Amino acid sequence: MKKPLQKFYAWLDERAKISDLVQFMGKKYVPVHRHSVWYYFGGVALFLFIIQVTTGILLLLYYKGSEQLAFESIQFIMSKVQFGWLVRSIHSWAANLFILAAVIHMFSVYFERSYRNPREITWLTGMLMLFLGLGFGFSGYLLPWNELAFFATKVGTDIAGVVPVVGKPLMIFLRGGEDVTGATLSRFFGFHVALFPGIFTFLLVVHLLLVQRQGMSEPLGLDAEHDRKTMPFFPNFMLRDVLLWLIVLNVLAVLAVFFPWELGRKADPFASAPAGIRPEWYFLFMFQSLKYVPPRILFLDGEVLGIGLFGIAGLIWLLVPFWDRKSARGLRSRTISYVGIGVVAYILVFTILGWFL
Amino acid sequence: MVFVKQVLLPAAALAWILLVSAIPSRADTRDGCLTCHQGLGDKPSALFAHDVHAARGVTCAGCHGGNAATDDMEQAMNKTAGFLGKPAGDEISLMCARCHSDSLKMAGFHSSIPTGQFAALQQSVHGRLSLNGKERIVQCTTCHGAHGILAVTDPSSPVHPLNVVATCTSCHNNAKYIRQYNPGLAVDQLEKYRTSVHGVRNAAGDGRVAECASCHGSHGILQAKDVRSRVYPTNLPGTCASCHSDPEHMRGYGIPTDQFAKYSASVHGIALLQKRDLGAPACNSCHGNHGATPPGVESISKVCGTCHALNADLFSSSPHKGAFDAANLPECETCHGNHEILPATSALLGVGPDAVCSRCHSSGDAGYRTAGTMKALVDSLESGEKKAGALVEEAEQKGMEIAEAKFRLRDTRQAGLEARTMVHSFDGARFAAVIGKGLATNSSVTEEATKTIQEFYFRRIGLGIATLIITVLALSLYVYVRRIERRQAGEGKMTGGPPIH
Repeated sequence: MKKPLQKFYAWLDERAKISDLVQFMGKKYVPVHRHSVWYYFGGVALFLFIIQVTTGILLLLYYKGSEQLAFESIQFIMSKVQFGWLVRSIHSWAANLFILAAVIHMFSVYFERSYRNPREITWLTGMLMLFLGLGFGFSGYLLPWNELAFFATKVGTDIAGVVPVVGKPLMIFLRGGEDVTGATLSRFFGFHVALFPGIFTFLLVVHLLLVQRQGMSEPLGLDAEHDRKTMPFFPNFMLRDVLLWLIVLNVLAVLAVFFPWELGRKADPFASAPAGIRPEWYFLFMFQSLKYVPPRILFLDGEVLGIGLFGIAGLIWLLVPFWDRKSARGLRSRTISYVGIGVVAYILVFTILGWFL
Repeated sequence: MVFVKQVLLPAAALAWILLVSAIPSRADTRDGCLTCHQGLGDKPSALFAHDVHAARGVTCAGCHGGNAATDDMEQAMNKTAGFLGKPAGDEISLMCARCHSDSLKMAGFHSSIPTGQFAALQQSVHGRLSLNGKERIVQCTTCHGAHGILAVTDPSSPVHPLNVVATCTSCHNNAKYIRQYNPGLAVDQLEKYRTSVHGVRNAAGDGRVAECASCHGSHGILQAKDVRSRVYPTNLPGTCASCHSDPEHMRGYGIPTDQFAKYSASVHGIALLQKRDLGAPACNSCHGNHGATPPGVESISKVCGTCHALNADLFSSSPHKGAFDAANLPECETCHGNHEILPATSALLGVGPDAVCSRCHSSGDAGYRTAGTMKALVDSLESGEKKAGALVEEAEQKGMEIAEAKFRLRDTRQAGLEARTMVHSFDGARFAAVIGKGLATNSSVTEEATKTIQEFYFRRIGLGIATLIITVLALSLYVYVRRIERRQAGEGKMTGGPPIH
C-alpha cells in the first residue's frame, strides 16, 4: 500500500516539485503564546468560504435566477433534489458562520495590532473581503425570492438611495430600475455567483500569499521574551486547523439538520410589507442605529447623516494601519484599545436592541 | 274675599280662556274659509269636509295660513295676517311636519301617530332631490292626498292596506317616470304581486296580507341594496318573519309559523344571517319577492336548481326523477327538507338509521345495495383523507417541506365535493369513478407524507452517523497532534524557530 503511494508521490514530485513546497512549509513556524487561539479564525473563515463555494456550485445546478422560477426552484431543491435540503441549509448557515468568523478574525487582528507594518496590505485585503462577504450575504439573501428577502432588499436599497449625489443612481443600479423587481434578482444573482467570487478570489490569493510570505504576526511586546515558543506550520498548525474545521463541520451539520433554513412565502411585489421586516443580523446594528436618528439634525437629513457617519467610521477603521503610528513603532496604543472596545460594545448593544425590539 | 272676587277669579277665568283657546276643538272652531269655498263648490273644500284634520278641528288656515275665523275674504286671506296661499314643493311636507313632528301638538289632538315620519321620509330614497333639484321626490301629499286625507285605517285612504299597492304603483308602474330616477328598477311589481298569494288575497279584500309597505316600510323606505333596508338580504328573513312567525297574525291561514326558526338553523340561514354570505338564499330566493308564491312540487327542483344546477341536472336524468314524480314527492325537499336544510354530510347517504335512502329502500332491493356501496366508498374517502391529512401535519410539525403534497390534498376534498354532487345521479359506477380519483390522491399523498416522515428520521440517523464519524476523526487528529508534538518537544522543535515580525 505504501509503495504505490510513494511511487505516485515521486511521479508527481518529479513534475510539480512538491517537495520544495513541503520543505518551505516545514520551515515555517507559527508563534505560540496566550493569544494564539485567534490565529485559527482566519482558517475557519477560509474553510467556510470553501464550503460556500462547494455548496454554491451544487445549488447552481438547480437554481433558476428569475422572478417566476427562483422560489419554485429552491422549493424543488428543498423537497425533490437528493440532499438538496442539506446543501441549501448548509449554504445558508455557513454564510452566517463565515461572517461571524471573519468578524472575529478582524477584531482579533485589530486588537493584536497585527495590521501594523509590514501587514497593511493583508489588513486591507482582509477588510475588503469582509465587505465583499457582507455583499455576498446581501445579494444571496434575495435569491430565494421570498417575502422577507424581497422587503429586506427593498429597505436595504432604499437606505443606499439616501446617500447624497450617488445614492439615487446607486439604488437604480442595484435594483435594475426604480423598484425591486425580477431585474434586481437577475443582477443580484450575477453579483453573487460571478462578480463577487471573482474579486474575492483575487483578494484571497493576495491575502494568503502575504500571510505565507510574512508569517503570522506576533503580539506587541512578545519579541523581548527570550524563550520564544513556536510550532511548525506543517504539520502542527495545519492539523490543528483541520481539527477545528472538523468541529465547525459538525456544528454546521447539527444546525442544518435541527434548524433547517426556512423558505417562507413567495415574494408578492403587490402585497404590503409583513410586520417585523429586518435585515440579516450582521446589518442589524446599523439598521437599529438609523431608527434612533432623528429625522433632522440641524440642517441635515438625519438618515443621510447617519449613513455618512457609518461611511466615515468604516473608512477610518479601514485605514487604521496608516494612522496608528504608535503600533507601527512597536508601542501599544491605548486609544486603539478603547476605540476597539467601544466599537465592539456599540455593535453588540445595537444588535441586541435590533434583535429584541 | 275681596281678593278672591277682584283678583283670583278674573285670573282663573283668563287662564281658562287661554287654555281652552290653545286646544283646538271641533265644537268651537269655525272655518270661514270652508264656508265660502264650499259655497263656490270647489273640489278641495268638498274633499276637506271629510278630511281627518277637519274632523279634529284643523281649519284651512292650519296649512294655508290666514284667518279662518272671519267671513271677510280680505281679512281671511290677508298676507300681513299670515296667509300663505298654496304651499309648494318641500313647503308641503314642512307644513305637515309643523304638527306631525311635534309630539306636544300631536298630544293635543290625542293622537298616537309617531312623530318621526318626516325625518324618516327625508332620509328615505323618496327623500332625495327630484330631477328639478328644488324639492324632494315625494311629499306627504304624494301618498296621503292633500284635502281629503283619511286615517290609514279608513278603507278609502290611499294608504289603506287594500289601496296602498295602487298608490305605490301609480309611480312605480310608470316606466317613463321611474327610468328617470333608477333605470334598473323593474316596473312590473304590481303584475307580479297580483299573481302572488299576498296579491290575490289583498285583491280579495284581505288587509292583513303583505302589501308594499309591509315589507318596504312606509316613510323610511330605503333602496333594497341599502344594508339598512328591511328587504336587504340579511334583513329580509326577519321582515318576512315579522308576520309569518306571528301565530296571532297567521291565524286562519293554515300554514306553520316556524319557518324562520327552522331557516335560521339551516345551512342557508347560518350562511346568510351569521356568516353574512350574501350569496346564500333568503326567503325571496326560493319564494320570489313581489310574486311570492309557495313553490309547488314540480317547481321545487327548479327553485333549488337555480343555484345547485348540476345537482338538479343529475337528478332530472336519474331513475329517481320518474319514481318521485309517480309518488308525487317533492324532489329536493324529500331528502333535504325545505326551510331546515342541514349541511349535506355523508350521514344522509347509505342505509343507516340517519340515512335518507332507507326511508324508501329496503334490504334486498338494488337501490339499497347501491346506497350501501356509495356510503362505504364515501367513508373510505373520508377516512383516507383524515389519515393523509394527519401524516401531512406530522411531517409539517417535524419541519419537513411537504407543501406540494398538502396542496394535492385539496384534490381529495374536491373529489369529496364532486361525489356529493354525483350522488344525485344515483349511478353507482359514476359515483365510484369520482371517489376513485380522491382515493388515488389520498394514497399518493399518504405515500409522500410517509416517505417525508421517514426522511426526517433518516436525516436524524444520518446526522448521528456523520457526527460520530467527524467526532472520531477529530479525536484521532487531536491524539495524533498531541503525539507528534510530544515527539517534537523531545526533539526540541517546538521552540526557537526563525524570527517572526
